[in-house]
Amino acid sequence: MSEEKRPGGLTALAVLNFVFTAIYVFSILSMITLFGLQLVKPFHEIDAPHYEAIRNVGKPILITIFSIVVISTIILPISGVGFLKQKRFLGRTLGNAYAILVIVNVVLTGVMFDPKIGGGFSIGTITGIIYPMLLLILLNTTFKEDFIN
Amino acid sequence: MKQMKPGTLDYRHICLISIYWIRYVIQGGPGLVFIMVASIFSFTVAQTVLTPVEMLMDQHAEKGSEINRDQCVTAIIKLVRPIIRWALDINDESPPITFTVMERPIAPELATTHKQLAIQRDPCPDPWTTFLIYQRPALLSVIFLVLIFGMPLLIPFLAFNQTSGDIQNKNLRYLLLRTTRLNIFLGRFVGTAIFSMLVIGTIVAAITWYINIKIPIYPLSSLVSWALYGYVILAILVFPYISVCSWISAVVDSPLLSLVLAQLIIGGIPLFAFIAHFIWKPATNIKFLLPWGLQNHLLHPELIHSVGTMASCLLYTIALLSLGYRHFENRDL
Repeated sequence: MSEEKRPGGLTALAVLNFVFTAIYVFSILSMITLFGLQLVKPFHEIDAPHYEAIRNVGKPILITIFSIVVISTIILPISGVGFLKQKRFLGRTLGNAYAILVIVNVVLTGVMFDPKIGGGFSIGTITGIIYPMLLLILLNTTFKEDFIN
Repeated sequence: MKQMKPGTLDYRHICLISIYWIRYVIQGGPGLVFIMVASIFSFTVAQTVLTPVEMLMDQHAEKGSEINRDQCVTAIIKLVRPIIRWALDINDESPPITFTVMERPIAPELATTHKQLAIQRDPCPDPWTTFLIYQRPALLSVIFLVLIFGMPLLIPFLAFNQTSGDIQNKNLRYLLLRTTRLNIFLGRFVGTAIFSMLVIGTIVAAITWYINIKIPIYPLSSLVSWALYGYVILAILVFPYISVCSWISAVVDSPLLSLVLAQLIIGGIPLFAFIAHFIWKPATNIKFLLPWGLQNHLLHPELIHSVGTMASCLLYTIALLSLGYRHFENRDL
């Protein structure tokens, strides 16, 4: 019965969650490849502006951002399932958590990274922040009463 | 309860139905999908256009030198001119067209640099390109040109399910106890149009704000006025395509089929016209079945010409809505 009454918007959000999960998985794979390249040639030996910019960020920040991406990738499909089943914790709470994590990640990347490697404020920042903002607004206003389980 | 006569127009009902429809469009899902698709498309276009200019400015910043406005403008012109000429189908063999706008002075704040560069770089400028690049903020001009091409293809994601879902579920019969088919049809069209205007307005405002803070080479007044004009033409441009979707939605019982048909028709007409004109040249006129054939003229240098194009878009809207309503009025719900 709850599936019959589920708003189409929640289904759309769930589908978007699954799509973005796939994108995040690719991001993680590319990050792992980048860090794996260190085994072949450590960053400090590579004389190129991008690698120098990555070195300047520092390991703790890189690990923090990587962790945020991994946690987001795990939360995203779970909250997608939560949207489909209209579960309060799995859907609404985890959805809010994902949105906040991504906003923090975007701010951190913008502040700590050099513009050469995706830092600073750019149009990409605005694009990256659209979906989390939309989630935060919709989960707490339009769909607030739709998480009935 | 007194039933309304069929075909009775009640503005209060239209207002109520359109407000409800704006809320439903988000709750139902199409609005969400449209927001995401339109935003990603628009900001990707903006990023493609703005990134080379930002990189040039960053290079100056790294060297510690002040931003060279002339170099920025030159880079912008070099970047946008081929795009504009391609989009407007202008080549060196195009017949010369005289526009009175060429005799008007360029805005004072843009005059010196742009006029000099116009003479240096393009001794035989075509008036349309000159208007879009030298007399208006070129970055916004090229972004608007691409959005004029792309927005009609995104509109079906928003407007495909105006009535088809309710026709399929037979829900409209309950609404028809209280209002007429005309009010429902127009109310949902108006709601969809308002929602699209809100989304387009937010996107244009964000891009304009971003250009103003990151590439501050245009006076704010020029940027804002051109952004407002661009917003108005984009808002009017999507009306005929929303009315196509209204028509298809009234004909077809299935929302998914409505979406597929809308995309096929809106995207297929210019594609078919393009392919067919290689076999039979007059076939290119097929694109005038929808505003594809004239929508670029919304950015025409002559104001009377662009106002005429806006009026044509509104006429297309009225014609397509009439056809759609004719079908909706007579069909079994």
